Amino acid sequence: MVTPIDPTVMVSALSRAGYGPRPGEAAEIAVRGFGAWVEQQLYPKDDPEVETRLTALRLRIKYGAAPDGAWAAVDEARPLDLLDRPMEALWPLADGKTKMNGAERHRPRDEVVAATLVRAVHSRWQLREVLAGFWHDHFNVDFFQSDTLATTLPVYDRAVIRPHCLGNFRKMLEAVATSTAMLLYLSNRSSRAGAANENYGRELFELHTLGRDAYLNDRYDRWRDVPGAKDGKPQGYIDQDVYEAARAFTGWTIEDGAGVDGKRRLPETGRFTYVESWHDGYQKRVLATEFAPFAAPQADGRQVLDLVAAHPATARHLSAKLVHRLVGEQPDKLVAAATAEWRKSADAPDQIARVVRLILLSPDFMAAKGRRLRRPLALAAAFARATGIDLAPSEGLVNAIAACGQRLFGWPTPTGLPDEDAAFLGTQAMRGRWALLLGLAENWWGTGLPAAPAALRGTPPTPHTAVAVWLEALGMADRPDVAMAVLTGLGWPPDQVLGLPAAPDTERKLARIAALCAMAPAFQGA
Amino acid sequence: MMTFNRRDALRLGLASLALPGLSGLAFAGTGAEPPLLLVLLHLRGGCDGLNLVSPATDPDFVAARASDLRVGEDGFALANGAAPGIEFRLHAAAPALAELYAARQLAVVHAAGLTAGNRSHFVAIDMMDRGIADTAALLRTETGWLARCGRAQAGGAVANVSAAATPGGEFHGLASALALPDLSGGAMPAGGPQAALVLANLYGAGTGAVADAGREALAALTIIDRKLTRDGAGKVVAYAPEGKANYAAAGELARPLQVLAQLVKMEVGLTTATLDLGGWDTHENQPGRLRGQVAKLSAGLGALWEDLSRWQGRMAVVVTSEFGRRLRSNKSNGTDHGRGGIALVLGGTVQGGRMAGGWPGLATDQLDEHVDLAVVNDYRQIMTEVLTAADGRAPAASVFPGFTPRAPLGLFRG
Repeated sequence: MVTPIDPTVMVSALSRAGYGPRPGEAAEIAVRGFGAWVEQQLYPKDDPEVETRLTALRLRIKYGAAPDGAWAAVDEARPLDLLDRPMEALWPLADGKTKMNGAERHRPRDEVVAATLVRAVHSRWQLREVLAGFWHDHFNVDFFQSDTLATTLPVYDRAVIRPHCLGNFRKMLEAVATSTAMLLYLSNRSSRAGAANENYGRELFELHTLGRDAYLNDRYDRWRDVPGAKDGKPQGYIDQDVYEAARAFTGWTIEDGAGVDGKRRLPETGRFTYVESWHDGYQKRVLATEFAPFAAPQADGRQVLDLVAAHPATARHLSAKLVHRLVGEQPDKLVAAATAEWRKSADAPDQIARVVRLILLSPDFMAAKGRRLRRPLALAAAFARATGIDLAPSEGLVNAIAACGQRLFGWPTPTGLPDEDAAFLGTQAMRGRWALLLGLAENWWGTGLPAAPAALRGTPPTPHTAVAVWLEALGMADRPDVAMAVLTGLGWPPDQVLGLPAAPDTERKLARIAALCAMAPAFQGA
Repeated sequence: MMTFNRRDALRLGLASLALPGLSGLAFAGTGAEPPLLLVLLHLRGGCDGLNLVSPATDPDFVAARASDLRVGEDGFALANGAAPGIEFRLHAAAPALAELYAARQLAVVHAAGLTAGNRSHFVAIDMMDRGIADTAALLRTETGWLARCGRAQAGGAVANVSAAATPGGEFHGLASALALPDLSGGAMPAGGPQAALVLANLYGAGTGAVADAGREALAALTIIDRKLTRDGAGKVVAYAPEGKANYAAAGELARPLQVLAQLVKMEVGLTTATLDLGGWDTHENQPGRLRGQVAKLSAGLGALWEDLSRWQGRMAVVVTSEFGRRLRSNKSNGTDHGRGGIALVLGGTVQGGRMAGGWPGLATDQLDEHVDLAVVNDYRQIMTEVLTAADGRAPAASVFPGFTPRAPLGLFRG
């Protein structure tokens, strides 16, 4: 017998393990059992509804004609036909050989942004969407930095982040290390023997794996002084590890047409390649491990990835980060249990799923109601899901989310979008959140209208019933104070009928009430 | 008069947000001289400093550029130029700037910008926003330099504003920074009086970070909104500038400048404001396009100065751009992204009427990578002197990490 769970607690759980429930979903899962839902979500299968939506979706593209006549003006609703293209088909968009408007060059990015919104609202695999977002933040690439980077987002999202987001970390790490996006963003593509570019090497240690807590800066190059180093198990990393790792990744590059040895040129596909003559083949020492000279192609880099992926500091860093994302705080015992699971499952193909399961099924997870702020995308998606908006993405909505502090796929520094609530609580961000909710409810950006729940469609609704019904849909059924605040602020007699059910004017009022309810502090978190 | 800030607004609580009780409260400083109001105007796109202020008689310059990409005889010769023997001329479309220069309230810093340059608009702007000069630091500097400089704490209820759709990058990481692109419809959150009332109810009480943040935001917006003049029907009355000030010729700069002027006059404790003017990326057909933008810049700053004549001694305006442009033009009668740009500093305490800082010259071996005007005047030196003048003390090392101030440009008197 499953113990029934308070519906508002379930709304919170589904708002952290997903983008919030659709009407009725929380009650249904409360009956079916949260554990059963989690089990299903950890191993996502196909998603025909999202596929159908993405196929049907048209995203506007608009620009004027070139002054020199190089291109004609365009204003059309175009399908998302770049999402499934391979890298070599997208790369030429930014190589500058064909004159085209900037909107065409960064169209690959715009399509992924739109698809991300569709999935957040409509995907049945909600946990995967949350984890895909988590890993995009973790392995951050700023796709607004250049049009070239913008062309790499479809492949990065489709083939690097998503397939691994509940899979094996070591495999994901190599997929990232060999991705066009990361090789460009952290400049490893130009790293050559002799003066290796340390950009990727440093972030690999500091952000992607061991974490800055494991940076033993004061031991700069004295690797023997690192505790555990003499037994081959250094507790942390030092600058020398970064330098040597950078050497290990020399020659990991992309086919960008660069000349090699004055004899040949790389093709121009944008795909990963390894150039042996750019690789620094001499011996190296990383994390107190000696690398033999002149190893097989890519073997040096792979050995670094093996070492950092298997390091205990990585297990702890990543487990703590996952706990923070899903729970909102980091209870010591839960972090320790997640870390142990991470290490135990190091070779499992579903390593990350196992750690996530442990976190989601812990008592700490359920007890954490209201401790996480919904970041702007999550706020928009949760509101759309709760109010039944059949969301079609648009540039206006993307900009409204950005105005709250989340420019999708456009965080400039490799640290990724902050996971601290304070980053989204500035004056401008708060004002942006209220506008985001009202704009969604009133369809300012052509994203679709809310569908009032059945309870507001049968009998003529009053402000009183509308507030009660919306608060339940929004997970605030237990907040009479919010109901009172909205009702007194509305200024409409609470028990006077708003209008005929389903009449356009009634729907408009109901939508507005939904937005005003969602502006409550309680809905900003989960 | 009492001092009023955002925290006080919080203490007043729910009722004051919903009722017109705030309108009688004004910010009046803390007894000490209020800090200098700092206004940053960024020319987005990379302003061709060599065409805004030309080294008109430099033979290297004359040889390198077609005459319509140089300031000709119709321009304004600037006294106290950057190099002896060269006449520097201000663009003919900038009579108001010429007047301010002659009145010694405007200083020009040529060959200014990022010491370690970057020809990407995005990266260069990002570095200047964050107060750094190399891309490696970009990857580890999360906040804008204005967020780190401590002015936020010195101001009143509405201390940091961008007269734009989003807060300027220099404010990045500063929770209280506000973006106000337009005040003609009021300053309250979207949704009209009904939404404002509901929000006041929802955020008036309650504890926790979200409730606090919402209350702060509502307080700041309410303070501004209540200071706007409304007609009998509650409509915001159009802003009327003072004296002979006329923003009509300032184009798209007119609205943000008037938002700024209104906020200054509201006396709400504004200490730092940012705004920008685009249209400087003149790869093609530069002469006409540049003339248009220069005219707007000049007319706009002239109008602001006239409009805020009562505040001139208490403010400093700094105009920058992410980079200058190539010495030689391209085949489209334009110029491509270069290095050394230009900065203007306007203020009642500015040591104006002169070009401050060094001039590297334009001979081939003096150029950056043999093609561009070199940067010899670090933008951080300019900002350091501005902050020092504005706050009465040098900025902390964390404001411009890794930067060591050089010989002063002497931008301010005293």
